[in-house]
Amino acid sequence: MRLSDKALHLLAAEYVVGTLRGPARRRFASMARADRRVEAILRRWEGELTPLAERVMPVEPPVRVWREIEKRVLDSGASRPRDRPLVPLGGTSGLSPGVWRALAMLSAGFASVLAVAFLWFAPQRESDPAFVAVLTASDAVPRMVVAMHGGNELRVRMVKPWTGVEGKSLELWAVPKNGAPRSLGLIENDRDSRIRLASADARITGANAFAVSLEPRGGSATGQPTGPVLCSGVIAPYQGPRRAA
Amino acid sequence: MPPLEMSNPAPDGTPQQSRLAELLSRSALGDRAAFADVYAATRAKLFAVSLRIVRDRAIAEEVLQDSFVSIWTHAGDYARAKSAPTTWMTAIVRNRSLDVLRRPREEADVDEALTANLVDESAAPAREVEARREAHSLAACLGELEAGERQSIALAFYHGLSHSELAGHLRKPLGTVKTHIRRGLAKLRDCLERSGSFVAGEG
Repeated sequence: MRLSDKALHLLAAEYVVGTLRGPARRRFASMARADRRVEAILRRWEGELTPLAERVMPVEPPVRVWREIEKRVLDSGASRPRDRPLVPLGGTSGLSPGVWRALAMLSAGFASVLAVAFLWFAPQRESDPAFVAVLTASDAVPRMVVAMHGGNELRVRMVKPWTGVEGKSLELWAVPKNGAPRSLGLIENDRDSRIRLASADARITGANAFAVSLEPRGGSATGQPTGPVLCSGVIAPYQGPRRAA
Repeated sequence: MPPLEMSNPAPDGTPQQSRLAELLSRSALGDRAAFADVYAATRAKLFAVSLRIVRDRAIAEEVLQDSFVSIWTHAGDYARAKSAPTTWMTAIVRNRSLDVLRRPREEADVDEALTANLVDESAAPAREVEARREAHSLAACLGELEAGERQSIALAFYHGLSHSELAGHLRKPLGTVKTHIRRGLAKLRDCLERSGSFVAGEG
């Protein structure tokens, strides 16, 4: 399903005005990161309205703010802030249209599915996942949940296995903002899988979605997906169980 | 370095904006001095932007910190945003402010003078700039909205009021407030499109 321009404009406008809140806000931000059309619409509203917000009388912040920023920038080694990325950062170009377009189309069910995913992970939570992605097929049915644990392990929970894939392999891909998908390895169809990663694994760096393709037994020989994409999902930072306000 | 005047919603290409853009790209390459200049030039405006939404100095300080750490980390993405540097940074600060908002239900304490009109005249010495933006269509389009629509949008935009806070503040049913906002934004979009500043479809 593809949201109409009209619907996207309203979402983008409410996002910029600030009345789009909570899960809906995060969902729209993910869409904008994953889909250039959505991003372009968001940018236009930002371009129109955001400058109005700059018309406030300046208020000098205390010096400690800068000291803290400096400290955090130095600590971070300049590259990995521990915060979740803020919303409309950077374009998301490079997702080739057809195959990867589905990534942007996670829609209404997304938030509730994520909530369910969190519950699943909760009982075994020795550490919170850093991020999660719910991978859905083109019919929007969730097929699996991928979560990053401990910075070096991807856990793939199979929600709804496929039938008729005997003799083939399922291959998991990290889809970066720019450039070609990167193989993360094969996953099982009939049970959960775990994939070990190097710490700060380059294959994950800059990825904003996961996808699974159907490949010949043993995986794609070319290093790129060769078979149909079975399911895909945008990576969302794990927000933690919502603490009571 | 003299502080850059950020109150002008300056079109891309003004000297201040080009200077900020340059500082941002140097920050992206790891130039901490350039980043310090970006901060010096924008901190007071951005702090005020956040303060107006979160209405708590301690929280606004945190928002400013988080935002600038993010600006540092993502400075390289700025170029792709294709917007004025101040717009890009203001959007980051606004988004962060809205993210952290978990305001207890309370009577909203808002600045009526500001929201009577979407455009804050008291803080807008930028009339010529505005004029240069061909009597810009946004102002004209805002003028076409009904007062209730404009007021609801302005309250939400400037003060980060949610739908239900707006309803409380305006003493109107929630549904009415939502309708005002949606109808107002739809009109705005149509008007901006008609005026050509806003083309439908792929940008």
